[in-house]
Amino acid sequence: MKVKNKQVEPKKVMPEITQKEIDELQNTIRVASEQIITQTIERMKKAFPNRPKELDYFDEIANLFGKRAKEIEQTKKEGKKIIGYNCIFAPIELIIAADAIPVRINSGWYDTSKLGDRVVPVEVCSIIRSTIGAKMIELSPFLEQSDILINVLTCDGMTKLNEILSGYKETWGLSNPRVKDSAQALKFWNEEIKQIKINLEKLTGNKINTKTLKSAILKTQKATKAFRRLQNVRKGNAVISGRDAMLVNQTYMWDDIDRWTEKTNLLCDELERRVENKEWFCSPDTPRIMITGTPMFWPDNWKLPSLIEEGNPKGVLVADELCSSERLLYDPVAIDEWTMDDMLTAIGERYLMACTCPCFTSNDGNEDRINWLLTKAKDNNVQGIIYYVTRGCMLYAMEYTRVKRALDNAKIPVYYLDTDYTREDAGQLKTRVEAFIEMINAQMGF
Amino acid sequence: MIESNSAFWRWQEYQRVMPNMSWSDKDIVTVGVDVGSVGSKAVVLVNGKIYSWGITRTGSNSPESAAKALDWALKGTGLKQSDIKYVVGTGYGRVNVSFADKALTEIACHAKGANYIWGSGVHTVLDVGGQDIKAIRCDDTGRVTSFLMNDKCAAGTGRGMEVFADLLKIPIEDIGEMSLNVVEEPPAVSCTCVAFAKTEAVGLLRKGWSKEKVLAAYTKAMAVRMSNLIKRVGLEPAFVVTGGQSKNVGIVSRVEVALGVKCLAMPNWREGGLDPMIAGALGAGLFAKALYEKSRGI
Repeated sequence: MKVKNKQVEPKKVMPEITQKEIDELQNTIRVASEQIITQTIERMKKAFPNRPKELDYFDEIANLFGKRAKEIEQTKKEGKKIIGYNCIFAPIELIIAADAIPVRINSGWYDTSKLGDRVVPVEVCSIIRSTIGAKMIELSPFLEQSDILINVLTCDGMTKLNEILSGYKETWGLSNPRVKDSAQALKFWNEEIKQIKINLEKLTGNKINTKTLKSAILKTQKATKAFRRLQNVRKGNAVISGRDAMLVNQTYMWDDIDRWTEKTNLLCDELERRVENKEWFCSPDTPRIMITGTPMFWPDNWKLPSLIEEGNPKGVLVADELCSSERLLYDPVAIDEWTMDDMLTAIGERYLMACTCPCFTSNDGNEDRINWLLTKAKDNNVQGIIYYVTRGCMLYAMEYTRVKRALDNAKIPVYYLDTDYTREDAGQLKTRVEAFIEMINAQMGF
Repeated sequence: MIESNSAFWRWQEYQRVMPNMSWSDKDIVTVGVDVGSVGSKAVVLVNGKIYSWGITRTGSNSPESAAKALDWALKGTGLKQSDIKYVVGTGYGRVNVSFADKALTEIACHAKGANYIWGSGVHTVLDVGGQDIKAIRCDDTGRVTSFLMNDKCAAGTGRGMEVFADLLKIPIEDIGEMSLNVVEEPPAVSCTCVAFAKTEAVGLLRKGWSKEKVLAAYTKAMAVRMSNLIKRVGLEPAFVVTGGQSKNVGIVSRVEVALGVKCLAMPNWREGGLDPMIAGALGAGLFAKALYEKSRGI
């Protein structure tokens, strides 16, 4: 990570766009997006007439232009720094310890990916194109409010996105090693983490000491506990729709961490009561599906989970292995001694060693991800996996062959589904998803 | 004779009733309707045996096309819609079959139908329809074990072939034979996209290539695409081809060459055999019988 010593004049790489066009596009897409958010939540409610009451809170937070955006704006006015980040390797604990607000800014808007086409070719990953488009028309309240951006250079798309965004915001490109299990990789990564700490202290003017860092770690550990609790309650018969659970997971990316933890625990209380009362989301013989692959972002890219749970025949999404959902908070920071050095090392390890991102490799392939998929499939009684890849997502696309072989050996059916940030292919995807669920039904005795 | 320039893509719509078969009120009459993007097929089964079928072109209105296909299949059988116990809709317009009791995907139905037509030895089915190519693996009972579909692209599909029929002014039903009428197999066209392949074909014609040679080059490119899909899903003999393009000998024989495996012989549909184009509707009709029996606890 390069430290900027002086503020250089940013080099804007996006094409000229007039303020008038920005305003018009922003207004149009924002209005459409608010409608989509409302409609998607309505669909989720319709799918579960007896939907848990505690989800109401998350429905409110799901409005990207609503309550939370206003809170962040207010917090910023009060002098706190907002740290936007791409990828889950950004060390949240350090951000919190510096008394700043972390918010993830990967974009889920289909319409802005079309705008991204003005800057980069269509072959580029949809998420990257959409994030560029969102910046172009200043659509995302979280991205716009961010004082700096931490871009983790996990893939080629993120690496170049960092450059493109650097024309508009101060960006910190956080470089991660591609091989985990070597002493030099960990050493390099720990240096990167230390540099983030220094940068954060300089930006916020707040010194990160053992006390503030310990308190931040305890905060995220609590959140992890709630996060895991929600995953545990989904291991048996489904008490919550997969889409609802995914939304709860995902709101963590922009919500206040303490409040999110509290509300998630309240939801889990309700769900655990429902388990006792055997109040299920769907018939227990509904095929149990897990998704893995490219992350899926709210609000537009809710396509696949909706197809699974609204199909004919229906499936139920019981788990996922996505960095936009169940991978977010799963691993806690494991501390031996509450010293600064130990805490920093533990944070480094939590982000590097535990991560199952396909950006990692070894001679045995990305073994961690494969083993984790097999474990999750077993723990959640998964009957079929949909391997989801958006166009341009090279790492997930290329890792499929190896993952499929492992799943074939374990006799877990898997289907590779590729798509893009578009609504046009919904019909074709529907046939694929339904045929896959029919196949699982047939294997269980049609 | 004046013929419209765009008439070459028109393939034959027809209807057939199997000889030596009849029905009574006691029989379980079920129907499968496959509304594809290009053709709509309806098959009538009596106690799970094929009785009659109709094939029509899918118009702009899917519900009407489904009804029309069923009307054709019922013609001359004495059967009325009220005699039918259960209907399963399939194909891309499956949700538009208003009179269907249930909808199933064409993937499950093609495997089931192929199992009926060729028997339990069939383990790999290539279905080449109007807008999709599907490679399906199934077990001895016709149950799907895995499948793959092409990308959102008309290359190699029936629709793509229709474009070429129009371009070369050759009736679509002659394309397969004609494409084999070359002294030496030319290299495949380099573009798989129908729009670009068309441009490339025009260029080749200008260069002096015969229509046969151009067709051979295009058909070869499509066959390579299909065989790659089959290789990805994994080929397990016996292998068969269903859907409208199964009648294109140019495609089928080139897929065989690319895979190094012969597919099971096509029934002679022109002379009383079953038509592989109806495999999806047939499978739907078989599922209809099973579902009817299940609903009655039979």
